[in-house]
Amino acid sequence: TRYRIIHDYDLHTGDPKADLAYERQYEHQQTYHVIPEVIKNFLQYFHKTISDLIDQKVYELQANRVSSESIEQKIYEIQDVYENSWNKLTDRFFKTSPWPEAEAIATLVGNDAVFLILYKELYYRHIYAKVSFQSFSQYRCKTAKKSEEEIEFLRSNPKIWNVHSVLNVLHSLVDKSNINRQLEVYTSGGDPESVAGEYGRHSLYKMLGYFSLVGLLRLHSLLGDYYQAIKVLENIELNKKSMYSRVPECQISTYYYVGFAYLMMRRYQDAIRVFANILLYIQRTRNMFQRSTYKYEMINKQNEQMHGLLAIALTMYPMRIDESIHTQLREKYGDKMLRMQKGDLQVFEELFSFACPKFLSPVVPNYDNVHPNYHKEPFQQQLKVFAEEVQQQAQLSTIRSFLKLYTTMPVAKLAGFLDMSEQEFRIQLLVFKHKMKNLVWTSGISALDGEFQSASEVDFYIDKDMIHIADTKVARRYGDFFIRQIHKFEEVKKIKLKW
Amino acid sequence: MTMTFEQMRANVGKLLRGIDRYNPENLATLERYVETQARENAYDLEANLAVLKLYQFNPAYFQTSVTSQILLKALTNLPHTDFTLCKCMIDQPHQEERPIRQILYLGNLLETCHFQSFWTTLEENREFIDGITGFEDSVRKYTQVKVWMNKYGWVENEEGQIFIYNQEESVKPKNIVEKIDFESVSSIMATSQ
Repeated sequence: TRYRIIHDYDLHTGDPKADLAYERQYEHQQTYHVIPEVIKNFLQYFHKTISDLIDQKVYELQANRVSSESIEQKIYEIQDVYENSWNKLTDRFFKTSPWPEAEAIATLVGNDAVFLILYKELYYRHIYAKVSFQSFSQYRCKTAKKSEEEIEFLRSNPKIWNVHSVLNVLHSLVDKSNINRQLEVYTSGGDPESVAGEYGRHSLYKMLGYFSLVGLLRLHSLLGDYYQAIKVLENIELNKKSMYSRVPECQISTYYYVGFAYLMMRRYQDAIRVFANILLYIQRTRNMFQRSTYKYEMINKQNEQMHGLLAIALTMYPMRIDESIHTQLREKYGDKMLRMQKGDLQVFEELFSFACPKFLSPVVPNYDNVHPNYHKEPFQQQLKVFAEEVQQQAQLSTIRSFLKLYTTMPVAKLAGFLDMSEQEFRIQLLVFKHKMKNLVWTSGISALDGEFQSASEVDFYIDKDMIHIADTKVARRYGDFFIRQIHKFEEVKKIKLKW
Repeated sequence: MTMTFEQMRANVGKLLRGIDRYNPENLATLERYVETQARENAYDLEANLAVLKLYQFNPAYFQTSVTSQILLKALTNLPHTDFTLCKCMIDQPHQEERPIRQILYLGNLLETCHFQSFWTTLEENREFIDGITGFEDSVRKYTQVKVWMNKYGWVENEEGQIFIYNQEESVKPKNIVEKIDFESVSSIMATSQ
């Protein structure tokens, strides 16, 4: 049996009183209430702009022509509609409720399937931002405070924001757009149009397919399935600039989830590389994000969270990173990092709690028999795995700092300095070797690929009773620092001259 | 009529594409596949994680025996962190069931290199690994590589050959000196007229 798409997406907002009221109304009138004239006109205009673009593009494709200027112009118009008008109208009419259902506006746009898919994406994005699937899932679990009525309502409507529904939508967009085949062909230098299929060749579908992959990355991460989270991106070369990497929020979100997944998989080197890259990107493009406050807030939040995660990763696995990011990190988390190095589990847990995604349960709770903190369980579960890992590595920081002080020493003596029995110390040295050996991405497209490497700053081997230690000394990059400072001053000089 | 393992792997591969992987009707096939991996000393992480995910979505179908097998198989793939990935997908109540709790404890012993305790505990609970062909050999391989690398400087390569590896050559202090290339400096030279 094919898993079919569930169509009763509804207008429940997550606020129980509003939803109950809506539910009662819905029973009496099967149609949505009055749609404001302004909205109708807007949707028709939006639809026309997009149809024209598609028609033009199809025409040009058939005539074997390259994208013309009029295409560029149309794309610009659509961007404007998408980013400005939509937001303005949302603020005016749909601040606390969803846009009309796709079914309700379908006739306005001539039942155009392509447009309706785009519309649904915007519809969900809006609900997501305002109400959010996550918030709803968590709300669903906070049952202790709910009244009997609300519980009854939730119980009889298990399909609201069912994880299956979300998965269905994301997977169907991925399938319809043939995005995976397109990406495969694109990265091997071929022409994605050749495998795009009837829908996939439209850039809208292409983008929707791509964003759906990112949506899946996110959903799997929220459910604690880090392997599958990274796997869905297997055809995307994260480091490569592409037409898809032009949406900053998408890039940032992607890197956040990929980095987090790497961290949980104990691929510290990869996590550090990913976080450092994107934090640098944010640092450099900060000024672009003044446009809409929602975007800016979200990016700011993820920026802070990623600094936190990077602090954790660098504590577990010290290695060199970009100097400017390192400076920023020390400013924000220098103190916390010191405490983590000393083995303060509480700091690890606090930082993890702040920086981690808002984990979800895919299951509807049994409302009759649920305890008050049910909604926190997914988070507790991930925290527990993380805390266990931290505890297993508890001694390693201290051992590392001692190893850096010596080159050769009897094992028993060093054990003494660390206040451990020789046997326990030898065991800890094995743990050190084990934990410092990471799976590291070196080549290939899939971010899951990797080889075992140990790029630890400190390495050692044991010869009978002696330990031989090798320290990787990296000369301080004074030259690089000064060059950067000189460039900065040049910039300041230029600005001063303008005025 | 029995299928070869390769045929099973191919069939399962198809099941795991797209939305079918979330269909609980496929659970029986996937569970049989776990059983086969255990018997034939084969391993398929992705399929096993898919089982755990289906259990997560459909708790009524959770099977302790299958989950235990999945965890034990994950241990045979150390030093990969498959075991950790599995833990992230098993909820707390199930983690406390027998023998999952015991297997988690064994996993912890291996991760913290307490190999003696591990073997002792395993001896006391041999029934756990019943049906997991080659479990001890795989774990032994993992533990001994660790110990040998420290004690004798020996390392086992992929073909199972052991050769004496001169650690002095590879474990050496490294001095990484900064290199400044001409391009970085040239722009400064240009402006400093």
